[in-house]
Amino acid sequence: MFRKLLFALLVGLLLAGCGPALTATPSPVATQLPATAVPSASVNPSISLTDGLNRSVTLASPAQRVVSLAPSNTEILFSIDAGRQVVGRDETSDYPSEALSLPTVGGYSGYNLEAIVALHPDLVLAGGVNTPELVASLEQLGLTVYYLPNPSTLEEMYANLDTVAGLTGHETESAALVSSLKLRVAAVDAAIAPLSYGPTVYYELDATDPTKPYTAGPGSFVDLLISRAGGINVGASLQGQWAQISLEQLVVANPAIIILGDSAYGETSQKVAARPGWGTLAAVQSGQMFPFDDNLVSRPGPRLVDGLEALAKLLHPGVFK
Amino acid sequence: MRIRPYFYTLSFLCVTVVLSIAIGSVFIPLTDLGRILLGWLNREPFTEPLKTFAFILTDIRLPRTALILLTGAALGGSGAAYQGLFRNPLADPYLIGVASGAGLGAVLAMSIKWSYSFWGLLAVPVAAFLGALLTVFLVYTLARVGKTIPTTNLILAGVAFGSFATALTTYLMLRSTGELHRAIAWLSGGSSQAGWEPVLAILPFLAIGLGVLLLSGNALNLLQFGDDQAQQMGLPVTRTRTLILLAASLATAAAVSFSGIIGFIGLIVPHVMRLWFGADYRRLLPLSLIGGASSLMLADIIARSVMAPQELPVGIVTALVGAPFFLWVLRRAKNQGFW
Amino acid sequence: MLRIENLSVSYGSRRVLHNISLELYSGEVLALIGPNGAGKSTLVRAVSGVIPVDSGHILTNDLSANRSNDFSRYSLNLLSLSSMQRARCLAVVPQAVSLPPAFTVWETVLMGRTPHLNFLGQVSARDEAIARLALQKVDALDLAERRVGELSGGEQQRVLLARALAQSTPILLLDEPTSNLDLHYQVGFMETVGALAAQDNLAVLVAMHDLNLAARYASRVALLVDGEIKAVGTPRQVLTPELISSAYHLHVQVISHPFVDVPLVLPGDK
Repeated sequence: MFRKLLFALLVGLLLAGCGPALTATPSPVATQLPATAVPSASVNPSISLTDGLNRSVTLASPAQRVVSLAPSNTEILFSIDAGRQVVGRDETSDYPSEALSLPTVGGYSGYNLEAIVALHPDLVLAGGVNTPELVASLEQLGLTVYYLPNPSTLEEMYANLDTVAGLTGHETESAALVSSLKLRVAAVDAAIAPLSYGPTVYYELDATDPTKPYTAGPGSFVDLLISRAGGINVGASLQGQWAQISLEQLVVANPAIIILGDSAYGETSQKVAARPGWGTLAAVQSGQMFPFDDNLVSRPGPRLVDGLEALAKLLHPGVFK
Repeated sequence: MRIRPYFYTLSFLCVTVVLSIAIGSVFIPLTDLGRILLGWLNREPFTEPLKTFAFILTDIRLPRTALILLTGAALGGSGAAYQGLFRNPLADPYLIGVASGAGLGAVLAMSIKWSYSFWGLLAVPVAAFLGALLTVFLVYTLARVGKTIPTTNLILAGVAFGSFATALTTYLMLRSTGELHRAIAWLSGGSSQAGWEPVLAILPFLAIGLGVLLLSGNALNLLQFGDDQAQQMGLPVTRTRTLILLAASLATAAAVSFSGIIGFIGLIVPHVMRLWFGADYRRLLPLSLIGGASSLMLADIIARSVMAPQELPVGIVTALVGAPFFLWVLRRAKNQGFW
Repeated sequence: MLRIENLSVSYGSRRVLHNISLELYSGEVLALIGPNGAGKSTLVRAVSGVIPVDSGHILTNDLSANRSNDFSRYSLNLLSLSSMQRARCLAVVPQAVSLPPAFTVWETVLMGRTPHLNFLGQVSARDEAIARLALQKVDALDLAERRVGELSGGEQQRVLLARALAQSTPILLLDEPTSNLDLHYQVGFMETVGALAAQDNLAVLVAMHDLNLAARYASRVALLVDGEIKAVGTPRQVLTPELISSAYHLHVQVISHPFVDVPLVLPGDK
């Protein structure tokens, strides 16, 4: 009996020692000095900022090994040309495609502290989707964490771009990006201004229960962008960013356009038309139902402007080609 | 396995502890483990890659192992105590609403924007702890009839209040959808905070709660004969049942405050121990403690290895793995089907 | 050994025992009889401290005194004692129903030693010797390692008696011990109880249904009807046609047992 247990113990140690099947993809451990990025024109000797949780974060020099814990952060990093400085990402970061080759460190259901530590990051970029407990744990382990708060306006999003640029030494690239984004937004604003007609839009987030679907409510980026794109959001009068609307209310509102933000989950125009009671909606009858990449309007990064343009095209096809 | 139950269970516990420290998403070869141990003994500073490995061991794996061990022990021990108190094989530590109260407290705390500070971060665990204890107190008070606390009343009040708390929690979660992920993650169970703070925070409560339970074996045996007979054999029944209930609830509340709601351990481990080692609570309690610790450890190892580097919530693993295992044990022990 | 004075007990607002006065002497078996709902079990539960008492006294000798029937030495009011202290004065043998099946006979009997264990609840050699003796007295020593759930009703009842004996108390209360037993076990059990009362000078109160069994094995009988003691005395004194018929609302005849000098109650008219 004792021998059985001794055997079990040995097997256990052996498994731990040479059982890659039980562990994840072996994480790279830095055995050489990390490659330095191309230095930016203006480099501050040290960077000191206050993040979204009111924590003061200090870096001696621009971060060269960044782990991103939110898909929006990954997009921001790559958009300001800091992609080479990113060494790890969360599971849901899937844009741009270059990000997919980075090692992952977990996702919503659990971030793997060991994996993050093993990547030897000099900066962990957390976002609104991450909990304060996670930030605290990482801080506890001696890592430098910057919590990028969720923006509520486009201006705040531009500010986030500048912040990340400051952390990674890409101020010039960020400034250029922000200018071009502002130009594109201004173009949309200019095209919308003379229009007198703004269609009512229903943007669907979830329709697991077709009699009580979820739509974008006030304060959400979808709501912001729909108005900016010259539309009227059906959900603007509801409560909360994820607002539930009843089919009856939807019938009364009678939107002219239905945008399927849940098309990634399999919703199609045909399915919508087939839903009982939905046939009375004008949008369904006139076939004004469009699938939409929700990532363009839910990730608080530069692609929000892409989302704005896409929405504008759907809402005012005559004006935007 | 009649002989020497402590030997077997403690040995298994040691094995799971070693595995828990040795296994993680970062692969640490056996040779390096050995070198790290030697380095500690000789007090030598480490170079890479041993330095990172050692850091992972001491700052991530060791505290997590300790927290899991304590949590599992609390759940196993209080599960056995609840089953003995209520004389009901379906009893588990959440019977009278500890889980729903803790969940409500946690979600309430999450809907408030605390400052990022020492106290701010403690808000959720403290609220969960208080929520759990408050629920037990309320349920206990509601169930009292004169000087006695009838078992049926306790269960009914617990179920009623539990449903109420759960409904309230769900409502709060739906209202503050920004915190939905955080709430779901917490409710599914799993250690979210690194470091030794959680361990140190729950240790005094567990020491008191589990300490009382370990001394209650005799009393629980007597209570199996019913309140009347227990009283007639000299046990001050009402006082004793209250004490055991409070101790078990204290331990459970402390355990869930940092680890969330982890099911199955408190229900299944005492039954397995009973099937293997008999129904004497003087032995069943400590064995359930040890068994709970090892089971949860095992579940945690699986939770962080199966889909690494993603981590499954531990509560899911305990249910998915625990249920079939229990059914298997049940079938093997068909002949001794006594509760 | 035990004196119950003016005991009144209620369940909620309903008074179930009215001013009960009863004396129980060492060395005797007192059978408490009466129709269903008369309050027999209630009396046992009240005396053993399981249900609260409205008014009255329950007195016994100071334990340091010998087990005597000298009423001048009655000083201990059971109602003022803690459960532990009371459990050293009297032990109860309940009906053998829904016993936890997993404990062994030995473990069950040892639990009777609870009021005598030390603070940590450790069982000493003396406790084990007493438990063994108790099993011997009820002739169940060979059942020691068996699980209680495997035993027959009669065996279980004997085990409960052994458990009460292990409690080493001068007073024994038995609550309907023979109601679920067949004839063989009924007789065997009552014979054992009678022998023990005599040998060990115990004061034994048996609440029971069976009038003829009571007549045969009890030295005194108390008739409880609607919460009041209607009569106390020898079997012949209490088991009369008038008393029994009025108590049970049934015509009965009482004849003399053909072989033993006790009355025999027969239901029905002449």
